[in-house]
Amino acid sequence: MSACRGADSTPQRKTFIDSRDRYDPRSLDPALSTDVPTGRAVSYVFDGLTRFTVDARLAPALAARWDVSPDGRTYTFHLRPHVRFHDGQSLRAADVVHSFERVLDPRTKGGRGWPLFPISGARAFAAGSTRTIAGLATPDDSTVRITLDTALAIFPKLLAMPVASIVPDSDTTNFGEHPVGTGPWRFVRWQHDDYVLLAKNPSYWGGAPHLDSLEIRIVPEPSTSVAEFQAGNVDLLYVPEAETDRWEHTDEKNAFLVTAPALRLWYVAINCTRGPLRDPRVRQALNHAVDVGTILQRLVGGRGTLAAGVIPPSLDGADTTRRPYAYDPARARALLTAAGYPNGFALQLWVGQDETFQRIAQSIQAYLAAVGIRATLVQRDNSSAREASRHGDADLFIKDWYADYPDAEDFLDPLLVGANRGVGGNVSFYENPSVDDLVARARTTADSAKRAALYQRADSIAFGDAPMIYLFFYNELYAVQPWIRGFKAPAIFNGQRFLDVSIVGPGAGGANAGAPRDSTTHP
Amino acid sequence: MATFLLRRLLLAIPTLVGVLVVVFALLYIAPGDPVMAMVGERADSATIAQLRHQLHLDESRPKQFVAYASSVLRGDLGTSFITGRPIARDIAQRFPKTLELASAAMLLAVVLGISAGVVTAAYPGGWLDRLTLAFTYLGISFPVYWVGLILILVFAMVLRWLPPSGTGGLAFLVLPAFALGTRSIAFLARMTRSAMLEVIGSDYIRTARAKGLSRAAVLARHALRNALIPVVTVIGLDFGSYLTGSILTETVFSWPGLGRYVVNAIGKRDLPAIQGSILFLSVVFVVVNIVADLTYAATDPRVEYA
Repeated sequence: MSACRGADSTPQRKTFIDSRDRYDPRSLDPALSTDVPTGRAVSYVFDGLTRFTVDARLAPALAARWDVSPDGRTYTFHLRPHVRFHDGQSLRAADVVHSFERVLDPRTKGGRGWPLFPISGARAFAAGSTRTIAGLATPDDSTVRITLDTALAIFPKLLAMPVASIVPDSDTTNFGEHPVGTGPWRFVRWQHDDYVLLAKNPSYWGGAPHLDSLEIRIVPEPSTSVAEFQAGNVDLLYVPEAETDRWEHTDEKNAFLVTAPALRLWYVAINCTRGPLRDPRVRQALNHAVDVGTILQRLVGGRGTLAAGVIPPSLDGADTTRRPYAYDPARARALLTAAGYPNGFALQLWVGQDETFQRIAQSIQAYLAAVGIRATLVQRDNSSAREASRHGDADLFIKDWYADYPDAEDFLDPLLVGANRGVGGNVSFYENPSVDDLVARARTTADSAKRAALYQRADSIAFGDAPMIYLFFYNELYAVQPWIRGFKAPAIFNGQRFLDVSIVGPGAGGANAGAPRDSTTHP
Repeated sequence: MATFLLRRLLLAIPTLVGVLVVVFALLYIAPGDPVMAMVGERADSATIAQLRHQLHLDESRPKQFVAYASSVLRGDLGTSFITGRPIARDIAQRFPKTLELASAAMLLAVVLGISAGVVTAAYPGGWLDRLTLAFTYLGISFPVYWVGLILILVFAMVLRWLPPSGTGGLAFLVLPAFALGTRSIAFLARMTRSAMLEVIGSDYIRTARAKGLSRAAVLARHALRNALIPVVTVIGLDFGSYLTGSILTETVFSWPGLGRYVVNAIGKRDLPAIQGSILFLSVVFVVVNIVADLTYAATDPRVEYA
């Protein structure tokens, strides 16, 4: 590999190099996909029965089509014919059963069974009390029939999550480091903490990728990934929030920026069970006290849309006419006085290691001080801060929520439903029976318009109760090298699989000379 | 010599046992739960309880410690909670990269630091001496993280001589080795200079000069060898710390060494990975120190190993 390349010239390679991952994937085994680097890598090597498009819509994948029974409880998936795994085996219905059993098997120790829990008997199997999953049947080699405990309209979306990827029904040792899937990219090599190298699957059922190979570099320091991008060594960069202005307003002639709203909410969870925060008026006061618009402009480079609810505007159920809490310190003071705190009170604002979160937390601290609320910043490593919030020890905790699947349910249920308080994701410890009831009803409602209406009402009720300081829905900002064609910013983390991406210019037409790493198959 | 080695090795045992106990205690006092990192952002308490049970985290602390210590005594560092991979293999994959980086940094420090020390001691007070002195001040004061980013800016982004980060050929090693070695280069230069000046002022140097030896021969053969004795100590200590703590350099340069492994493991509270790698690094530190002590004998005949 040449030591460095000029950024002005097209590189002599047909490998796309991604610099987004900050840490090594946990594993390449779909059953262990609990973090974004793992989920993304798994989505390259594997397919699910369904998948998400780049704009986060549900599409068929290994299931060419599916039928739902009138009661909404039984899904029949018809497998796409002539699909082969990277090792040459044909895809059969038994592989689907095997894949789901692996995820739920207690011996896997994956901790990510919940997307499959709606399947009848899945919980019993995961608890080790049964040997098979009652709700899984294979009438023939190309059909999988899945029976659920109750109707669940969003079930096909859960199957597009990385954890529900289909793996071959053959026992391979060390699958997490030598994965075999049906996906557009086959595994070549993994140097831990350095890179994962994948080569195109020339016989991919959805059409082979244009690129020869895909290299996922692990770059822990954001400034280093910027340097790598400017040296022309990587093709795709997450632009750090603090650098947004520099990239948007200076002449970065070597790159173009691509942005897309992500299904990602930034918010400050308010623990509704602690002290004065039990009073909704106090929580509303917190929302009125903070000038979120200024925070968004100054600290996040304007990359987002103010949130007036937890449902991102692009999803069904979002009420785009609802107005965010206005910045109104006088109103905040009045609400505090009405609640019996004319002189304010003291609380703790918890924050993890993310630099942008820390800056926002400092800013919120100042805004709260202006209405008499004395916030102490408690800065901890991510693990400690998250644990404190899950145990209900944090008054306020600044965090984000990134969708696993594109549906309002993935925001309402974990963040606002009472049953999910604590480890389930609801670290506001918010509980409102009407919200719980609306979300539960939406889950079994097949009609999508009716479902959206239920979502919207739930979101609206919770918004009034203010279990969080609503910040904004985040926009991803990517820099892409000018020699790259066909890259679209994904609205969901596993929506971009580089099938339509190519490298243009002199390097693309020639032989594979200059490829940074050879793509020979790992023995 | 053999008895010395044996005694030092025996003394290492209580040190390592102490490390084992302290690390275990710290991990269980510190907040954070490995199961939380395993299950991700959305979980249910049944799954969490099941995993805690499977990983024996629901057992008493003393029982957990005995189980861990006995498996370590059998030579088994266990498997990672998070990845399921054996810790010993994880360490074996990453330690060579750490060793490579630490050795390169130390080589730079020895070559550049000692030569700078000798040259400046030969002409004390000259412009070269003052310039070097200024550089060594900066080299000791600048944090390694900042030095790393500046090196990337200058040599990778502006001059484009070297790659900013990653692994590959020798070119990838240069910047991280410089960043990591900067402090040692500066420190060794200052130590060598002052030790040399002290030695040069002593009687036997005057005698050596008086018997007609050239200035260069005296410096190289008589002065340097004696001046090196304290320098060797510093080299040993610095090398030990590079092998066990090049976390910042590895992070800035995306270098896949053991330091980042430990930090990631701590971030996820991957208890076996943290315990195993810290224990391993303690062994490395002990070994490096023993080797440094043995090196004294080669440089200083007055040192005896009884």
